[in-house]
Amino acid sequence: MAYTRAHALLFLAPLLLIVLLMYGMMAWTVAVSMDDWVGMAPVWKFHGLGNFRTLLGGALRERLFTSLRNNLIWLVVFIAPTASLGLFLAYGLDLVGRAERVLRPLFLYPIALSFVVTGTLWAWMYDPDAGVINNLLRMIGLGRWAQPWIADPGLATFCLIGAAVWQYTGFAMTLYLAAIRDMPREIFEAARVDGASDVQTFRHVVIPNVGHATMIVVAMLILVTLKVFDLVWVMTFGGPGISTEVLPFFMFVATFRQQFIGIGAAISVLILILAVAVVVPYAWWSMRRLQA
Amino acid sequence: MTVRHVRMRWLVITLAALLITTPALYAADQQQLLIYHWWTAGGERQAMQVIFDWFTKKNPNTKIVDNPVAGGGGITLKTVLLGMLAAKIPPDTFQSLSGAELKQYVDGNYVAPVDDVWKAQNLDANYPTVIGKMTTFKGSHYGIPMNAHRANWLFYNTKLFNELKLTPPTTVDEMIAAAKRIKSSKPNVAPIAIGTREKWPAVFLFDVTLLSTGGPDAYEKFYTGQLNVKTAPEVRTALQKFKELIPYLYQFHGAKTWSDIAGPMAEGQMGMMVIGDFAAGLLVQAGYKEGVDWDAVGFPKKPQEVFLMIVDTFVRPAGAKHPEATTAWLTNLTDPKVQGEFNIIKGSIAIHKAVPDTTYPDRLHQEASRTFKSKRIVPSSIHGVLAPPAFLSDWQDILTRFLYSPDVNRALDEITSAMDLDKVSESSGWYWAK
Repeated sequence: MAYTRAHALLFLAPLLLIVLLMYGMMAWTVAVSMDDWVGMAPVWKFHGLGNFRTLLGGALRERLFTSLRNNLIWLVVFIAPTASLGLFLAYGLDLVGRAERVLRPLFLYPIALSFVVTGTLWAWMYDPDAGVINNLLRMIGLGRWAQPWIADPGLATFCLIGAAVWQYTGFAMTLYLAAIRDMPREIFEAARVDGASDVQTFRHVVIPNVGHATMIVVAMLILVTLKVFDLVWVMTFGGPGISTEVLPFFMFVATFRQQFIGIGAAISVLILILAVAVVVPYAWWSMRRLQA
Repeated sequence: MTVRHVRMRWLVITLAALLITTPALYAADQQQLLIYHWWTAGGERQAMQVIFDWFTKKNPNTKIVDNPVAGGGGITLKTVLLGMLAAKIPPDTFQSLSGAELKQYVDGNYVAPVDDVWKAQNLDANYPTVIGKMTTFKGSHYGIPMNAHRANWLFYNTKLFNELKLTPPTTVDEMIAAAKRIKSSKPNVAPIAIGTREKWPAVFLFDVTLLSTGGPDAYEKFYTGQLNVKTAPEVRTALQKFKELIPYLYQFHGAKTWSDIAGPMAEGQMGMMVIGDFAAGLLVQAGYKEGVDWDAVGFPKKPQEVFLMIVDTFVRPAGAKHPEATTAWLTNLTDPKVQGEFNIIKGSIAIHKAVPDTTYPDRLHQEASRTFKSKRIVPSSIHGVLAPPAFLSDWQDILTRFLYSPDVNRALDEITSAMDLDKVSESSGWYWAK
C-alpha cells in the first residue's frame, strides 16, 4: 500500500495536537500574565504590563531579584561540578573494566530517586545537630568546620546545590560514558602505543572527543537549574526567610498559595524568556564550535 | 454466516450492552459522596474513619468515595481543588478552614450556602457565636465546622522546670526570665524550642508574643489590617519583644520542623515550646507522658487568657453531583456524639456545646474544652483563619527572616508593603461586619 499525503497528515495529527496544546498553553499563560487575576475564580481584567511592573520595579522587586540571583547561582555553581564529575566517573568506569557492572548502577542510583526523597535524605544529612556531615567532621577531628548548613541563609543555597550535584552526576556520567564508548577504540590504542598515561589520554583524547555530549549535558543541566523546585520545597521551603527561593518556587507560592494568578503567570513568562535567552545562544554557540 | 458466528455476534452485543449499562444501574442504585480532605497522618486518618462509620450507619445506601490529599493545613489539597473547581467538576464536599480561607471559595462562587443545615441543627445556639461569624459571608453560612485546635499552648519539660523550681510563665516577659534561668544553669539546654524549616511555627511564637504585649484586640486588628503598622505602637512593641526571645531560641531552628524538636523538648535538651495542641498527640505517640515528661499551659495568661483557634470545616460545593449526600454529610458532622468520638482521636476539641469536657481522656484537652467554653475565642492567624492566606505566606517569610536579622524597622516596612499588596484590610471586612 502506497502512502499518500493524507496518511502523513493522519500520523502527524497527534503530534500537531500536542504542539498546539503546548503552545496554546504558553499563549494562555502570556495572556494571564497581562491580566489582573487575583483569587480562585478567573478574573479577566486587562492589566497590561502591570504584573511585570510589580515584579521588576514594584513591591515584589526584592523577592524577584533574590530568586533570580539564586537561579544564577545555581547556573554557575551547579553545572560545572556535575558535568565534570560525570565525565571523570565515565572515564573511570571505562578504565576499570569488569568492575563497571557493579559501579555503574551505584552511580546511576540517585537519578532513580524522586527529588522529594533526595531532599529529605539530604536535609537529614545537613542537620547541624544530628546530621551525618557534622558528626563525621567532629569524628575526624574537624569539628571546627561543622556548619549550620541549611539553617544558614548564606550557605543554604549551596547545600541545595550539593544535593542536586549528587543526584545529577549519574545522569551526566551516562551521557559521557555513551560518548566515550562511541569513540573508535583505535584512538585509545594509538594513545597507548605512543606511551600516553591515563591522565594524558583523558586530557588529550577523551576531552576533545566528547564535545557533543558536553553540549547535551550542559543544555539539560541548564534547564534543570531553571526549573529547580522540589529540592527547595522539601529542604528549606525557600528559607531561612526567602534566602533560597528560586523563580519556580516563587511562581508556585505566588500562584497557588497567594492566588496572585496574574503575577504567577508573569513569573512563568520571565522563566520562559530566561530559558530561551540562556539555552538558544548556548546551543547556537556550541553547534558552531562543533562544526568548526 | 454460520450459527457460531451469529451466536458470537449476539454474545458481543450483549456484553457491550452490559458494559455500558452496568455503571449507570449501579450509580442509580447507590448514592455517592465524593469527598476531599487533608487528614492523612496516622491519628487523623483513624479519626476520619469514625466520621465515615457514623455516616455509613446513618446513610447505608451512600458510598463514600474518599480522596485524601496529604499536606498540613491543606496546602496541596487547595492546589488540587483549584483545578477541579475551575473545571466545574466539584466533589460533593471538601475540607477548608473557617474564616479568610473559606472566604476565598465564597469569593470564587465555588461554594453554596449551608443555612438549611445550620438552622435545622440550631447551630446558632449550639455553636459559639464567633464560629457563626467565621462562616458567614454575604449574609449566609458557607461552612460546617466540627472541631477546633488551640494554637496558644506553651509546652515545657516537666523535669527541667521542677529541677530549676520554675513555674510555667504567664507572659512573654516571664518566658524570657525562665529562658534566662535555663540558659545560665544549663548551658547545653536550648531554653526555647522552635523549628522553622517549614516557617509557620515562627508565626505561633509571634502570635503569643503579640497576645502578651498587645492583648487580643490588637491581635484581631493587626491580622485584619486595622492597625497602621508604622504608627500604631502595638506591632513595634511585639516585634521588639520577639527580638528579645531570639537569643534563647534553639540555634539551628532553620534546619528543623516542629515535629523534629518536640522529642528533644520532652527529653530535656530543650526547655519549652509554643505550638498547637496537635503536638500533644505526637508526644504521647512517641511515648512521652503528660505530667511526667512534659506539661502544657495555655499561654499567655495575661493581660487576658484566650483560646486561639484553628477551625476545620466542611463545605457544600456549588453544583455538587449528589446534593442529598452532601446535606447528610454536613448534618452528620454537627452530631455531638460524632464530634466527641472524632475529637478524642484527632486531638482537637468539639465545637458543639453539648460535648462535655470530660469526654477527653487527657488533661490538656479537658482544659482546652473548658477554656473554649469559658474564655474569649480569638481566631488564629495560622493557615489563613483570620489573616488572608496571601498575607500569611508573606508573613512567615518576614518573620523567619527577622529571626536571622532582627531589624524591627525593616520588618515594619515589609509588613506594610505585604499588607498593601495582599489587600489585608480590604479583604478582612467580613470579620468586622455586624
